[in-house]
Amino acid sequence: MNGTLAVYQKELWTYFRSPIAYFVVAAFLVETGYFFTYNIFLTGNATMTETFQNMGVLLLLLIPVVSMRLFASEYSAGTMELLLTLPLKPWQIVLGKYLGAVTILLLLTTGTLINLVPLYLFGNPETTTILSGYIGFVLLGMACLAVGQFFSAVTQNQIVAALITVSVLLGFWFVGHLQSFQTSYALRGLFGYVSFSDHFGEFVQGLVRTEAVIFYLVVCVIFLTLNTNYLQWQR
Amino acid sequence: MIKLESVSKRYGSKTVIHDLSFTVEKGEIVGFLGPNGSGKTTTLRMIAGFTTATSGRVTVAGYDMATQNQEAARQIGYQPEHPPLYDALDVCTYLRFVAKAKGVPRSDLSAELERVMGACRLQAVFRQQISKLSKGYRQRVGLAQALLGKPQVLLLDEPTIGLDPDQIHNTRDMIRAFGAEHAVLLSTHILPEATLICQRVAIINHGRLLAIDSPSGLQRAVEQTYRVTLQVTAPAQALRQELLSVEGVRTVQVDADADDRQILSVACQVDARQGVEAAMARAIAGRWQLHRLERQQPTLENTFLHYVSQTPAAEESA
Repeated sequence: MNGTLAVYQKELWTYFRSPIAYFVVAAFLVETGYFFTYNIFLTGNATMTETFQNMGVLLLLLIPVVSMRLFASEYSAGTMELLLTLPLKPWQIVLGKYLGAVTILLLLTTGTLINLVPLYLFGNPETTTILSGYIGFVLLGMACLAVGQFFSAVTQNQIVAALITVSVLLGFWFVGHLQSFQTSYALRGLFGYVSFSDHFGEFVQGLVRTEAVIFYLVVCVIFLTLNTNYLQWQR
Repeated sequence: MIKLESVSKRYGSKTVIHDLSFTVEKGEIVGFLGPNGSGKTTTLRMIAGFTTATSGRVTVAGYDMATQNQEAARQIGYQPEHPPLYDALDVCTYLRFVAKAKGVPRSDLSAELERVMGACRLQAVFRQQISKLSKGYRQRVGLAQALLGKPQVLLLDEPTIGLDPDQIHNTRDMIRAFGAEHAVLLSTHILPEATLICQRVAIINHGRLLAIDSPSGLQRAVEQTYRVTLQVTAPAQALRQELLSVEGVRTVQVDADADDRQILSVACQVDARQGVEAAMARAIAGRWQLHRLERQQPTLENTFLHYVSQTPAAEESA
């Protein structure tokens, strides 16, 4: 566990000594603030539903910016040689890096809480729905990060990693739309099940289903395991 | 401490290391010599655990790198060719990270950092961001990183590259001091460096170990022949014939790319006995103009060239 902690701390230092974390957090908060204001004044309802939907899409575009450097920058700086020759197991490296990125995600999420201040001051929102939306948002972000981190390791190039991650995440997001084109019951079920947006939609509506929680966690586990195996295989 | 047994490494169909076997004992500094692309870095990477051998066995401090590389990694300090540094971090944070990853207990952390920063003279840049360091300092931070956690084995890939003469001197002193009680394997293509600090030298080319012995032992082994270089104004073909007819001259290599009447550079291997050069000079003197004739002392450089020039370049894959 000490190894994971060492990598995690190193990751946080690197985030906050480089402009990327500040930039991503700032960009996300500005955009979320814009959508929030827009949605509230347009609908006049004290609800986060629309804003959560917008935040979800924003996340798909910003997560690759955070995840692209996770391994690609180690390869380009030659520090991969250090990481893999230290007494660290591959899973410790993968987990330490992942937790570092999740910390940035949680920071983003915390930042958006400011939107709740006017919501509660001037309206009467449903706390449970907001809570479930946030749970869904964090789970979605964690799944996206796991996908992005894997592609950062495989491509070893930041730009390529970001592009592939965006494409894959958009694929996972829109795959639910294919359901209406399918006559096969099994395929419809499958497309619905792997759709990031369908599960996220449930959270936003205030529905926390175990199945959806497990789905996102399984995506994380699959991609982090692939990532670990890739490091192992590369030797 | 370091033991390689019939180690080979293949990338796809290309074999880069062929059946390599040697050992480095405790208290020994072994130099790893070879031209660029000869397999030095790949070998060091296999010992460090960055890549695994395709076949054969690498053992470090008694641990098999294929199955126990975690345990072995605690005993290894490895400085890759390019210092593996995080530009965004400062020196202290970076070294702290490496120390923690190597499992240095929290209570010993400060003392351990003090120790390596003293050894590598890094106190002045303690709080500086790594991206702002000069090349020499970067190299030294890379070395400091390898020394953290008191490893039993030190693997250094061209440790003095990019350092100024004073720093080179210090680094060599440090390696020598470390090597007195531990095992050091360092790759270099600075030949005098190997003569100065290494007890034994391994010469490698095209992924094959050509020789391993003390620098003087290697020199003695090739001393049956000397290398003689000449500069002569003569027709290349005739000169070649004439030199080969002199007793004791084994090979003649004429560097004849221009037309015949220009000054030719000739390199010969001759028997290591008195009088051969004089006979060569006599053979030339009457007919052509001799500008220079020089016998090269068998330095490690010549020894190295002797071995390296013997391996055919074509044997890339086995």
